[in-house]
Amino acid sequence: MKEKFLKEILILFGIAIILAILPIFLKKGYIINLIILICLYTALSQSWNILGGFTGQISLGHSTFFGIAALVFRYLWASGIPPYLALLGSSLSSLILASIIGFPSFKLKGHYFAIGTLALSMIAIITVQNLLPGVSFSPSEFLSKYSLIPIYYMAIVVGFIAVLVVIALSHSKLGLALVCIRDDEDSSESIGINIFKYKIISMTISTLIAGLAGGLFSYYVASYYYYVPFDLGWSFDPVLISFIGGAGTVVGPIIGSICFVILKELFAISLGQMNVLIFGIVFIFIVLFLPKGIIGVAKLSLIQKRTSVISKEA
Amino acid sequence: MLEVENVDAHYGDAQALWNISFKIGEEEIVSLVGSNGAGKTTILKTISGILRPTKGIIKIDGINANHIPPHQIVEMGVVHVPEGRRLFQEMTVLENLEMGGYIGRARRLKEENLKWIFEIFPILRERIYQTAKTLSGGEQQMLAIARGLMSDPKWLLIDELSLGLAPLIVKNIYDIIKEINHSRKTAILIVEQNVHLALKISKRGYIIENGKIIAEGIGTELLNSEMVKKAYLAMG
Amino acid sequence: MLHIAQIFSYGILNGALYGLVALGLSLIYGVMNLLMVAHGALIMLAAYTTFWAFFYTRIDPFLFLFIVTPLFFIIGWILFKILYQWLMKYPEGEKIRNSLLISFGLLLIFSNLAILFWTADERAVTTLYTGKVIQLWGVRLPLIGIGGLLLAIIVIIALHLFLTKTYFGKAIRAVSLDHEAAILMGINVNKVCLVAFSIGFALAAIPGVLTSLHVFNPAISFDLTNKALIVLILAGFGSIKGVLLGGILLGAIEAAGVYLVGTPYREVFGLILFVIILMFRPQGLAGKKV
Repeated sequence: MKEKFLKEILILFGIAIILAILPIFLKKGYIINLIILICLYTALSQSWNILGGFTGQISLGHSTFFGIAALVFRYLWASGIPPYLALLGSSLSSLILASIIGFPSFKLKGHYFAIGTLALSMIAIITVQNLLPGVSFSPSEFLSKYSLIPIYYMAIVVGFIAVLVVIALSHSKLGLALVCIRDDEDSSESIGINIFKYKIISMTISTLIAGLAGGLFSYYVASYYYYVPFDLGWSFDPVLISFIGGAGTVVGPIIGSICFVILKELFAISLGQMNVLIFGIVFIFIVLFLPKGIIGVAKLSLIQKRTSVISKEA
Repeated sequence: MLEVENVDAHYGDAQALWNISFKIGEEEIVSLVGSNGAGKTTILKTISGILRPTKGIIKIDGINANHIPPHQIVEMGVVHVPEGRRLFQEMTVLENLEMGGYIGRARRLKEENLKWIFEIFPILRERIYQTAKTLSGGEQQMLAIARGLMSDPKWLLIDELSLGLAPLIVKNIYDIIKEINHSRKTAILIVEQNVHLALKISKRGYIIENGKIIAEGIGTELLNSEMVKKAYLAMG
Repeated sequence: MLHIAQIFSYGILNGALYGLVALGLSLIYGVMNLLMVAHGALIMLAAYTTFWAFFYTRIDPFLFLFIVTPLFFIIGWILFKILYQWLMKYPEGEKIRNSLLISFGLLLIFSNLAILFWTADERAVTTLYTGKVIQLWGVRLPLIGIGGLLLAIIVIIALHLFLTKTYFGKAIRAVSLDHEAAILMGINVNKVCLVAFSIGFALAAIPGVLTSLHVFNPAISFDLTNKALIVLILAGFGSIKGVLLGGILLGAIEAAGVYLVGTPYREVFGLILFVIILMFRPQGLAGKKV
């Protein structure tokens, strides 16, 4: 088990290093942009994945934590705080919000939690629309010499952290406890797992990472209406991505993000508004027929290969 | 004839029944006894169609019922009175009975059936407009059985009749069951943990343990056998 | 004093609408444990259908009700057969989760479809009686609102009769009380779910028609879903009887909110109440099932 863990960490480091030195060779801003988006969505989706995929708590309100982090980041940054510290701050703000409203919602089981978080995200966006009707701008010094590169590196950092955390989780006792809770809460309780405590831990980690993603968003997007990061799409996309790739796996959200970003680019060019429609249909299709996502399909074919080998030998 | 032939059943990957075979002839009272978790309810579920056999056949009057939808199995005359009664708590006694008589032919005979059912269970007529949850334990069990009778079944399968009821009430209900079998010619399968009571009233009996049938025979013989005495003692 | 009476009167009339909005959701949830969060989007689609029907044919919305309601029943029937029949094969926990996700997906699909086809512009059906009010003890009551209240009462009575006086209606109640026991009665539970789902859709058409008479746009999909969820929790999950009262209660609470903090936060008031009740009494104020 330990070797697998090390292997995964090494692969992750490897990818991170490759990505880090990429800009030296690649000047095309287009690809850099895509990678930023992939990292952003990977982080947000991994954040959802921790709570939804691993612990089985379906959150339909991650946009709330994403949004608040974006706001806080912008505020801190505009106040002169260096970006990476602001990132930390925004991540913490998500956590604080979570502890106020998120943790109590764990009294809710199953789909009550889902609609509770859905309601929260709706409260959030309506409140923000009313309180902050304007547009938020990046600090002007940054805008004047706008470059994708620092954003690119922050994206790699954020994505790296998100995936690292999930890898660590999948090899830890904590991760095992979470999966137990997902599979059967009552049984987990009877073998002594403190459900509430672990759900809190799961949500803590989840919202911290969602906060990182929110901060990244704010760093990346030069100007946006204040309510944009609170849009329900930011709740929907990580769910969609995790399902496409495979919820509850490490690689799932990564694959899902890559597919999502690339497809979105393709669709946006050709279809405009329709792309939300297409993704909705894809989502439903996957929930019905491929609930384990692409990873699920890959695993299945692996199993089939193995069994066919066995029967040949027999 | 209701026949169970070499039936296996699984819950997901976990096997619960191994090679179960037994039969209930018309107008018989048959018992299936065993301790908690032996597989009694599982057998009933495979007969009523909630669960499907993974091996073997359920035959109702010679017809293979393995793939017949549960609501049609009721139409064929097989009624399962579930463990814990499972009454529609928020509905009245009358409404529960009406639900028991949901299938077509039962609806046509509703008034008739209500008449003889109220003769057998007069207390239910008294409580006819009360909601099921206001009834006592014994009354609820009676309602559950009465509800099962509303479609005038050929085979009535009763799961854990005596659970949670006072001995006097249980005796009363068992007397009623004998009466139903006698006057309506309904075959009855009694599934019970209370071995003594069940075997006493039954023509034939089967003993199930860990998902397998370990003994069968005439009711009284089984009751006096060494195996039952041992198992019965083990059950306390 | 009159001011308060006015606000609360609006609140109650709105509440009748909210009750209607929640009815379909409540029915589907009660019978199948399926939370159709897309319900608000259905109502929105019904509103647009009514709007365009009026636009092209000038047919009065209240008359169009008789066309759009059966139409949505049929749409629900078809949608259930296609989408949800697949779901029924999954085990219980996954089934609930998956149906929630699918509903969520539908919510987004429908609202974006609406934006796509009809833009985000605001619409409203304007008829002869739009804006007309009657005065009752100094309080102005919009005719449309009163029409809505009457409609709500009629629908609820009709539904009540259906559920208590017909075999199929009782079967629906039986299935929502105890799914497995209902199977053992010889009730074809799949069929019951199918019909209940379709009725739920039809019940979306009715508030949809009413909505078309007010100003609306695709975004109300979310607002209406909110309202439905809030009413559901006020009435108690699984309780159909309490829905109209729950709706009116919500209307009254919103009125109080408007009185205290002003109109823009009207929605938020109800939502916060929702989350609080959800945390401390998830079965709802009057409900039993959790």
